Amino acid sequence: MEIFIGLIQESISGIALGSIYALIALGFTLIYKATEVVNFAQGELMMVGAYINFYFVTTFLAQSGEPTIGVFFLAFAGSIIFSFVFGWVLDWVINRPLKDEPIFSVIMATISLSIILRALVAIIAGPMSLIPYSPFGNRVLSLNGIIISALDLSIIFSAIVLVTIFYYFFNKTKWGIAMQATSEDPVAAQLMGIPVKRVYGLVWIFSALVATISGILLAPRMSLLDTSMGFLGLKAFPAAVLGGFGSIAGAIVGGIIMGVIETISMGTLSFHFKWIKEMNDIIVWIVLIAVLMVKPDGLFGEEKVKKV
Amino acid sequence: MLKLVGVETYYGKVKALHGVSLEVKEGQLVTILGANGAGKTTILKSISGLVEPEQGTIHFEGKRIDRLDPEKIVSMGVGHVPEWRRIFPELTVKENLLMGGFLIEEKDLLHNRMKEAFHHFPILKKRKEQKAGTMSGGEQQMLAISRALMIKPKLLLLDEPSLGLSPLLVQDIFATIKELHKSGVTILLVEQNVNRALSIADYGYVLTTGKIFLSGTYEELLDEEKVREQYLGEGKYVRRSKLWSGS
Ligand SMILES: Nc1ncnc2c1ncn2[C@@H]1O[C@H](COP(=O)(O)OP(=O)(O)OP(=O)(O)O)[C@@H](O)[C@H]1O
Ligand SMILES: [Mg+2]
Repeated sequence: MEIFIGLIQESISGIALGSIYALIALGFTLIYKATEVVNFAQGELMMVGAYINFYFVTTFLAQSGEPTIGVFFLAFAGSIIFSFVFGWVLDWVINRPLKDEPIFSVIMATISLSIILRALVAIIAGPMSLIPYSPFGNRVLSLNGIIISALDLSIIFSAIVLVTIFYYFFNKTKWGIAMQATSEDPVAAQLMGIPVKRVYGLVWIFSALVATISGILLAPRMSLLDTSMGFLGLKAFPAAVLGGFGSIAGAIVGGIIMGVIETISMGTLSFHFKWIKEMNDIIVWIVLIAVLMVKPDGLFGEEKVKKV
Repeated sequence: MLKLVGVETYYGKVKALHGVSLEVKEGQLVTILGANGAGKTTILKSISGLVEPEQGTIHFEGKRIDRLDPEKIVSMGVGHVPEWRRIFPELTVKENLLMGGFLIEEKDLLHNRMKEAFHHFPILKKRKEQKAGTMSGGEQQMLAISRALMIKPKLLLLDEPSLGLSPLLVQDIFATIKELHKSGVTILLVEQNVNRALSIADYGYVLTTGKIFLSGTYEELLDEEKVREQYLGEGKYVRRSKLWSGS
């Protein structure tokens, strides 16, 4: 019974962690689908988002003196605005100048970007780790003996809201469908009068937006915030591969599964099998290799026939 | 309505068009004929702004368009049905039409145009919620044409609409083109189907390796033994024209 309750608690906590992986995976799936570029800086975009939010929280906190909901709300709004500008700038410095270069060059540029962003943040914010604020403190909810952290619940809730908005945007609005059309066939999209360059800009803005939100959600879950947070973004890759690389639904489901696997293996499994504890850091990568061997197209992936 | 003068277009260092001049007058149906690789598609791409000519000028309704972005050229009233149709396979038929009308701001107008498309091609209405990629080649061609017609273009560029279709469907497509022309759309048609294309066209251009080789009306061109030799003969003239162009 205790094991059972433990597993439920861990699953919920895993879904929360997985929701964040899902958002990061969603971010680079958007860019990948539209431009075939794998953005290795997605984790760093998230880290920058977390730092910006931390900066806003401390600024507003200094003014109001109390950590009220208003403070967190204002900080959130500020970070969102920042992410729009950030995504727009990235489109102009990374995407547009390299638009005629091979995809490989752009991917290398995103790797450089990730290193530059880590260095920049370290220079501006200083080398010390920060202690992130959580709007919920250590509050927990208890339900029939199952204890769930309020933070985790809010993460899951935010992820659901965000994914719903994205789903609506992509499938029901003209610009959303235009983004799909552009990612399917940019040449044909141009012939429809779709401003393809602006669509690519929009894609980068969206991806900075989800990265920032995942950073804001993830930071309070970590005891310390430092520039290595960006490396967590790499874990979203196995998540995306598990779901089927390039599939939006796959990114979300894969992210959640990875979060649950990781949390349970760190919790109950490590408790009963000591050797699993040693393997915590590599568990997602083992899953990645297993998926690549058994089902390389992932859960939602379709075998794509390349256009000639 | 459309006028190309001395257009030279490159792909990297490869010269695909060696100074092409041609004209399409309002209400005409003009066809460009030529063997594989002659540069027919490149002419259409140059007109709609997908590639930028290095030399020469392109005017549409008196305005110079050869430095404009494709979306600008579309908004001036140039529709382009590309080679191999290029519908959006993962989008539904309805969404494909919606994209064709991307530049239409008024909801009612968009709705009406969609209705017109369904009226013209009832099969599209039946398939409207279906993913476009799951339709047959002929249905996809209907969709590609309807999609380009959403903005009611003044000039329609058609790139080998009969490509890969069965003879029966080819007949249908040509009937559709003829009808469109009758309804007042100016058409620039690229074809390999010489006889059919010439039989519905007011004027034709024959292209060889990036140059206009011949031009004339249906009768004039059919009289030209050369046209036949270009397509059906032993390629005597092809070789000679190659000698002339120094390659
Ligand atoms: N994207 C490209 N990159 C490099 N060369 C190209 C490209 N597209 C076309 N070409 C070259 O330009 C020339 C003209 O090509 P184009 O596609 O215009 O011919 P076409 O007359 O439409 O032929 P087809 O009947 O086969 O469609 C060809 O020699 C072709 O190899
Ligand atoms: Mg062609």
